[in-house]
Amino acid sequence: MKERAYTVIANVMNVPADSVNDNSSPDNIEQWDSIKHMNLVLALEQEFSVQFDDEQVADMLSAELVVETLREVDVT
Amino acid sequence: MTSTPNYSKIQEIVNSTQSDSLPNLNVSVLRTIMVESIEPYVRYHALQMGHNAAVQFGEYDNVFQEAVGGRPDLMNDATDIVLVFMGLESLSWDLARNFTALKPEGVRNEIERVTRHMETILSGIRKQTSAMVIWHGLETPLYPALGVVDSQVENGQLAAVREINAHFRSVLAATPNAYFLDMDICRSFVGGRNFYDLRYWHIGRAPYTLAAVDAIAFEQAKFIRPQKGKNRKCLVLDCDNTIWGGIIGEDGINGIKLSKTYPGSSFFEFQQEIVSLHNRGVILALCSKNNEADVWEVFDNHPDMVLCRAHIATAQINWQDKAANLRQIALDLNIGLDSLVFMDDSDFEINLVREQLPEVEAVLMPKKTPVLYRDLLAGGGWFDTLTLSAEDKIRGAMYRAEADRKKLKAQTTDMKSYYASLEMEITIARANDFSIPRISQQTQKTNQFNLTTRRYSEADIAEFAADENSDVICLSLQDRFGDSGIVGTCVLQFNGGEALFDSFLLSCRVLGRDVEKVFLLQALQIAKDRGCIRAIGEYYATLKNVQVELFYGNEGFEELSQGSVGANKRFAYDLTGDLPDMPDFFKSITFSQE
Repeated sequence: MKERAYTVIANVMNVPADSVNDNSSPDNIEQWDSIKHMNLVLALEQEFSVQFDDEQVADMLSAELVVETLREVDVT
Repeated sequence: MTSTPNYSKIQEIVNSTQSDSLPNLNVSVLRTIMVESIEPYVRYHALQMGHNAAVQFGEYDNVFQEAVGGRPDLMNDATDIVLVFMGLESLSWDLARNFTALKPEGVRNEIERVTRHMETILSGIRKQTSAMVIWHGLETPLYPALGVVDSQVENGQLAAVREINAHFRSVLAATPNAYFLDMDICRSFVGGRNFYDLRYWHIGRAPYTLAAVDAIAFEQAKFIRPQKGKNRKCLVLDCDNTIWGGIIGEDGINGIKLSKTYPGSSFFEFQQEIVSLHNRGVILALCSKNNEADVWEVFDNHPDMVLCRAHIATAQINWQDKAANLRQIALDLNIGLDSLVFMDDSDFEINLVREQLPEVEAVLMPKKTPVLYRDLLAGGGWFDTLTLSAEDKIRGAMYRAEADRKKLKAQTTDMKSYYASLEMEITIARANDFSIPRISQQTQKTNQFNLTTRRYSEADIAEFAADENSDVICLSLQDRFGDSGIVGTCVLQFNGGEALFDSFLLSCRVLGRDVEKVFLLQALQIAKDRGCIRAIGEYYATLKNVQVELFYGNEGFEELSQGSVGANKRFAYDLTGDLPDMPDFFKSITFSQE
């Protein structure tokens, strides 16, 4: 799951897949602004057929937190 | 609707495609809402039609300022498409969400204010660019303000929104190159509950889900494709398990599935859809591995065939491979392979065609679920045009006539007597109100016999026609097999003693009979009659028009050495001498001076 999630992050942010790691976040990926974040959330929901609530959407601001949030909604 | 890959995959495709070599498609988005998530879908569809789209967004909720105040970076001569999204919530909160608080005259005032506002925006856009405008209509409310009463009365919320849409549809229809996109159609595909993302509506005024923007971009592509001449013209059909169920060679005419009742009804409805497209101008062809006589027996004698022989422009019914047969069909009809959609139930044939002829849109028909056939065809959107002209409606018949002409040609060896046997009658006339729509359409669609490939709107053509320093003439052709309508367009520009062929193009289906020579001679005569001493012809190379590279040279023009700005080749014709005689095998050649 982690690998799939990172691929989605890489595709949406248009960065090389192998450059995404646990620490990837808006702090070190320049393109990761609020609009790209929205696109990322929507793409993750589509990829894993899940829905996040408002709070989760606002919280998942790093690759590590994305994976953690996916676990919260029972994606393994 | 054919399904597009998911968002992440689409991003990957548009990120990784080397698209530098493709022609640009400059798309500008004006919006009162956030719709950034549509960008990869727009780029994906553009790639599918061979264009590299650059999508630029105007500021959020700044449509009025940008349209009226000007945004030269968003709207300019290089802009191809302007997408306009105007949410009712931002246009009129009261109409959208506070409807029951309005009195009837309040509703009326709001409708008028909103439509005036939108008209100002549209004319502001038009002042800045002549690009295609795709205006996204208002969605009708999912939860009408008056409840079930809303559908019963004339002054409900549904009626108000529909009135704004209807009014605006007519404003757009009166504006050149501007079109209304029905958002309710997009929402129907997706379903109202899956169309809106309420979280992001509240967090960031982004109302649509990915499923929604996917459906919207799919609908947009139906407009952009014909604008760029990338819509398909011909549907090529397999027979067994495609237009009927079963195999004619094994099941026989009484054993195949084709009827008004189940299970043959899937094929009956599919055929009905094929004929509906034919009536809209789509050319039909058959490509089937069969004994030819077996297939025609079904056409002639099966009581539930909706298709008949007269619908089929050309057929390749034999045991050769289908890639070769598709090539032959394209040749017979004088159209490009990229004009074909091919439907077949065999994954072997479909894969063969995808591999050997990637230009052909090859559609695999799911033979285990023929109930889906009709929707696969109706939902493809491959054949959409921006207008339906009289020529479109009879195009199928015209291409059938062309295929018949080819057969006659095969029988007649001497070309001149062949030409004479066609009894061709040519009429050349100046552009008028009736012919301008077709002329503009021809400049937009013609790719092969087109010297400069300049695309012109109806307004552009009308302007050339009205200007005394330019002339627009068109050529119509009729012969014993039928009326081809307007098949040639020429735009001349006069500057002192010189006439410039701004545009010179002919429909490919009339080539090879010296019609082009007649047209060129008549254009030269017009220039000569105006007192011009020299005519200039230019060739602008595209991927598709290499066949006309030497046209002017072969017709007695002299090539000029200086490669001027833009044109790949320039030619001159000395008008001070006598012009050559017209070919003598036409039944009549008429130039109408009006």
